[in-house]
Amino acid sequence: METLNTLFVGKVVREFPKLASTNQYATDLLSKSKPSEGTVISTPNQYAGRGQIGSGWESEADKNINLSIIFYPTFLPIRKQFQLNQAVSLGVKDCIAHFVPENVKIKWPNDIYIHNKKVCGILIQNTLTGSIISSSVIGIGINVNQTTFITNPPNPSSLKLETNHELGLKRVREVLCRKIETRYLQLKAGKIDELYQDYLHNLYRYDEMSLFKRPNEDTFYGKILGVEETGKLLIENEYGDQENFAIKEVRFI
Amino acid sequence: MNFKEIQELIKLINKMNLTEFKMKDGDFELAVRTEKYLKTRTTQVVSSPAPMMQVAAPAPQPEPIVAAPAPVPSTPAPAKSEDASTPKETGNYLEIKSPIVGTFYRSQSPDKPAYAKVGDSVAVGDVVCIVEAMKLFNEIESEVSGKIVKVLLEDAQPVEYDQVLFLVEPS
Repeated sequence: METLNTLFVGKVVREFPKLASTNQYATDLLSKSKPSEGTVISTPNQYAGRGQIGSGWESEADKNINLSIIFYPTFLPIRKQFQLNQAVSLGVKDCIAHFVPENVKIKWPNDIYIHNKKVCGILIQNTLTGSIISSSVIGIGINVNQTTFITNPPNPSSLKLETNHELGLKRVREVLCRKIETRYLQLKAGKIDELYQDYLHNLYRYDEMSLFKRPNEDTFYGKILGVEETGKLLIENEYGDQENFAIKEVRFI
Repeated sequence: MNFKEIQELIKLINKMNLTEFKMKDGDFELAVRTEKYLKTRTTQVVSSPAPMMQVAAPAPQPEPIVAAPAPVPSTPAPAKSEDASTPKETGNYLEIKSPIVGTFYRSQSPDKPAYAKVGDSVAVGDVVCIVEAMKLFNEIESEVSGKIVKVLLEDAQPVEYDQVLFLVEPS
């Protein structure tokens, strides 16, 4: 166990030489104990990382950040859970922007892009007990020093590829814990509008005309106006019509 | 309203992602139900073990998508005011409902076994399914205990707030 100069995120870090999936380990841990809030499960070698349902997350051993943070956001109504996603995405964006000063954006809902390339994925798993979010496992994969990729479309990249600098994983992890803690405390303090405005202004393609594609392959020009409470993306097309989109209802091209 | 106006209206209704739309203007009445409505209803109807349920809704027949100007039978609305998480008895069964709008998944990934199958016993606190909402994955814990007698949705189907997911025979 190691400690870190934060209030609670990363005060307890459980580091493993290798692990199938940090989220899996964290959810198993939660099912049989109550780890302190902010506990981090981390490994430099995650060999069966997970993305969305049925998809994986590629990460070369000893090159990247693979960790999961345990929170108990019982203060957050279930229907407002997208706010948790906003806080976490901002925390990760803040961390990456600490090392890469320009062009770091959040691609809705929660990928982190540098220019047009994905350097980070986030997987949030909540447990709902009745009407509360009793626990949340925030899985974060940041490509740090990896320079070649086999899978993980679209456009994978890493901090090293974007900056030409190799970074110490421990240092990145410390900054990540600090930045996420700051955003989580903002959420807990109810600074929702501040979070929302920051999320919007760091959103990839916010308020700029660009091309989108529907599942039926139709394309259209539009600009992102905002995000609804449910997390749906609000886009205004070139004719001034507004429409909201759930995941898989729209693609950025 | 002329044909073109009706056409425009239906286009708009589709775009707004509604389940149902009704309007009345003098003698003219229009009722539209979208594919989404049929999906939701059909699923529930098909999977309702009707003979066993005392409070079962009068089974609505699949209707044409556009029915105008026929009067629309009032839909048995789910008790929206109730807390989604409150287990409610339907006949002899308890219901497990979705506390959120999203996509229903029976297991963590397609290659993993379902959390809860018909015939399985569940206890309070057991995870029974996942509802994904905008890439947030919510494991739903059962608040009742008993035996699963019906799974009302297929894997990867959309789910509404308060929609019944499982019927449980109390133990």
